[in-house]
Parts: sequence; C-alpha cells; structure tokens
Amino acid sequence: MRTLGRRLWLSVFRVGWPRTRPQRLRAMLSSLVLHVHPTRVRAHVLRPSYTLGLGLVSFYLFVILTVTGLALMLYYVPHPAAAYRSMKDIEYAVTFGMFLRNAHRWAAHGMVAVVFLHMCRTFFTGAYKPPREFNWVVGVLLMLLTLALSFTGYLLPWDQLAFWAITVGTAIVAYFPVLGPQVRYLLLGGHEIGQAALLRFYVLHCLVLPLAMAFLVAVHFWRVRKDGGLSAPPDRLHRRVLAWPHLVFRELLVLVLVLVVVHATALLFDAPLEEIADATRTPNPAKAPWYFLGLQELVHYGAIFGGVVVPTGLVLALLALPYVDTHPRGVGVWFAPERRVANAVFAAIAVAVVAVTVVGTFFRGPNWAWVWPW
Amino acid sequence: MSPAPPHPPAAPRDSRRRFVAVAGTTGLVAGALGLLGALARSIVPDVLYEPPRRFPVGRPRDFPPGSVTLVAERRLFVFNTPEGFSVVSAVCTHLGCNVNHEPGKGFACPCHGSTFEEDGRVRTGPAAWPLPRFALALSRRGELVVDTRRTVGPDFRLKA
Repeated sequence: MRTLGRRLWLSVFRVGWPRTRPQRLRAMLSSLVLHVHPTRVRAHVLRPSYTLGLGLVSFYLFVILTVTGLALMLYYVPHPAAAYRSMKDIEYAVTFGMFLRNAHRWAAHGMVAVVFLHMCRTFFTGAYKPPREFNWVVGVLLMLLTLALSFTGYLLPWDQLAFWAITVGTAIVAYFPVLGPQVRYLLLGGHEIGQAALLRFYVLHCLVLPLAMAFLVAVHFWRVRKDGGLSAPPDRLHRRVLAWPHLVFRELLVLVLVLVVVHATALLFDAPLEEIADATRTPNPAKAPWYFLGLQELVHYGAIFGGVVVPTGLVLALLALPYVDTHPRGVGVWFAPERRVANAVFAAIAVAVVAVTVVGTFFRGPNWAWVWPW
Repeated sequence: MSPAPPHPPAAPRDSRRRFVAVAGTTGLVAGALGLLGALARSIVPDVLYEPPRRFPVGRPRDFPPGSVTLVAERRLFVFNTPEGFSVVSAVCTHLGCNVNHEPGKGFACPCHGSTFEEDGRVRTGPAAWPLPRFALALSRRGELVVDTRRTVGPDFRLKA
C-alpha cells in the first residue's frame, strides 16, 4: 500500500518531498505551478518590507474572485426581469450564497486598492526602470482591466446603486471626442441601459475581461522572470537563496493571510443591495462606486475636464513614464534620495487621487453639495 | 551514397515560392480580416427593443392649468401655462441623471449639482447644454403626443 501511494505521488510530482538541495532545485522545475518561479531567488526581494507582497495579494484576490464568481454564475440570471430576484435568491435562498457574494464584493474592492498600492510600491522603489519598462506598461493595463472588471460587475445586481452608477459612467464615455457616443452605443447595445446593456456587461464581466486579465497576468509574471527577477539595488543583485522553501512558504503564508482577511470581512460585513433599479427615480445623491468617486468629483467641475482630460492624461503619463524616466539610479530601494523629484511628483498625484476620492465619498451630499461627514 | 539531387533552375522555383507565399499571406490576412470584420459589425445592434421616440403622454385635461407634471416613465416634464403646453426633458444633459423640479426655482440634478431654469436653460454647471424641449402635437384622438427626436425653441407652446 505504501509503495502504491509512493508510486502515485511520484507519477504526479516526479519528486518526493524535497529535503536535499538537488531535490529542492528539481522540485521547482517539476511542477507546472512551481516552475513559474526560479529555482533560486534574490534574498533582497524576500524581505516583506521591500514588496509588501502587494502583487501577490492582487493575484490571490483575482483567483478568489474567479472562484467565487463562478459559484455566483450558477444562480445569477442576466436579464432585467430576473437579475434582481436572482440576487435576492443568492442572498436568502442559497446556502452560503450571502457569504460568497460578500467575499466576491469585498475581494473586488480590495483588489482595486491593492493594485493601486502595488503600483505605488513599484514607483517608489524605481522598479519600472530598464529593463522593466514594458512590464510597467502591462501593469498599467492590468490596473485598467481591474477597474473595468469592477465597473462591469457593478451593474449586474440591477439595483438602484448599480443602475445610476452605470448611467453616470457610460455618460462620461459619451463625452470622449469623435468616437465617444458610438462606443457608448456599442457598450450599451442601444441608447439606454436595458436588457442589451445588462447582457453585454455580463459577458464582458464573466468572460472577455477575465480572459484578458488572465493573459496579461501570465505576461506580467513571465516578464518578471525574463527581466531577471524582481528589482534590487546593484549591491544586492547576487545574494540568492533557494526558492524552496524560502519563496514557496512565504507565498503560502501570504495566501493564508489573504484568505483569513477575506473570510473575516465576508462574515462580518454584508455587501449592499439597494432597491430594484428604477429608471424614473434618481437617488439623491447618486454615487458611483468608491473608486470612481474621485472621477465623479472631478466630473462635477466639468464633464470634459474631469471625465476625459484628467483620466486620459493620467493614463498616458503612466504609460509613458518608464520611457521618459530611464535614468538607472535609485532602483531597488524605497524613496531613493536620487529620485527625490520623481517621488515627490508621484506622491503629490497619488495623494490628489486619494483626496478627490475621499471628498467624493464622505464630503458630498444631496445635489452633490458639500457636507461635513460628522 | 546517392548523389545530391540536381538543383532545378533558380527562376521558376523562386517564382513558385513567391506565389505560394503571396497567396498564403493574402488568404491568411483576408480570412482574419473577414472574420474580425464580421465580428465587429455583428456587435453593432440593428434592431433595438426600446420604447418608441414618439408617444402620447395623456389628454390636455390630465394636466391642470398652471401645473408642472413629471411623466416619470418617459423622463420628461409637461408644463401647462396660460400660453399653452410645453415639454422639457427630465434627463440632465451633464451625465444622464433625472433632474428634480423645484417649483418656482427650476430644476436641480442630484448627481453632480447642475441647476436649470424652468425653460431648461442652464443656471449653474457643470451641465453645458440646456435641457432639451421636445416637439408636442395634438393627435386626432385628442392626446398630447411628444416627439423626442425633434427639439423646439424656448418660445414653443401648444394651444390645446
């Protein structure tokens, strides 16, 4: 029996539980999941204070979102007449349905925040500099995909919050010069938010965008390897340790932490579900999801300025950044003194983004008038 | 050891290769473009299952003199003033929320705070355009019929 078990194990994994150095090297090469990693990894990048594990957390959240999303798809019906009722079913007539929905919602919010922080980490450690310019660009695209996934998912519950957030969001799209109205027409499959729009958002949310995300995540990871691993300062490039156990078990530890936090949040807090969508009644104030409230605050000052000029300018600046700032100094350490100006500029923009988001979330009341949150 | 096969004359073989390469590339590009073109065209809907753009909103006597009535399901306001009937859209021109009517003060948008005069003109932004005023006619059955495809000037009134 022992022998049969061992033969089965070896037929799957090729190596036993790795104990010696050659076994540990071979283990990393013999499994599909593990071979994404190198066999040896820089000691510098294993320090939690360097990466904060933010990229890894983003990836774990994406996996959790995929799994919980698949479960929700078994009950959710993408039709205006049925969508809201199927949400109620998920909440009250499916065992653990509420828990799965909560986990999906909070993991999605968490992913938006963590991806943003991951970008900040990459900037403040100068990790986007050559040869990693293109992987920064892939990262920017991944952040946009994260926002697009959140936005398309937001309509699906078909409640008041969903309906009016998408009304505002797609109206912003129509402000883009030349192609704006046509893109909105394509996105909605018509002139108004109805059955065609719901089905389109559903297909984008469940299939098109996750597939694009999975592909770009693969490119992102592959480029980390091809660019020589995560960045490190020149004097720390060469001290390496074995990926098994040092990297593998740190990754598992982060997975445990993410799972615990997602479970705890999903058990403690319920995802909101307002009344069923009603095109005749705009809630006052009508607010977009929190990560777009900064955009909504800017749109308040002018739709073209806030909805088109500022976001387009920011995205273009992010895409161009690694090709403009190619100076190789200050890579691999937080807040390198040689990068004082770049860090100050980026920090100012990041603080401004957070500030308008906070204003839109807490300081805006009925008719978008200023209110104090206390 | 068999002797190496004799090379055929260079010219015909090169032209044959070029023909295969050009034909293959053309076929590949044409096939891919055809498929993608069909896909791109197919996602533009030709038939919309949306409410008609021209519709009745009720009889004149349904709107008392001096009243402003929200026809919620059509997202517009019907005014009955001494000069006659007129219709103002309830959809904010900024980002598409429904504006609320505040008697004597005009309209206010709950989403981004635009305000409008009673006749639809912008009082304060961020909205850049006035609320459209739609054409109004009396049908043979005595109903007020709104045509949202046609907008009219601020002086338009329907005597009914």
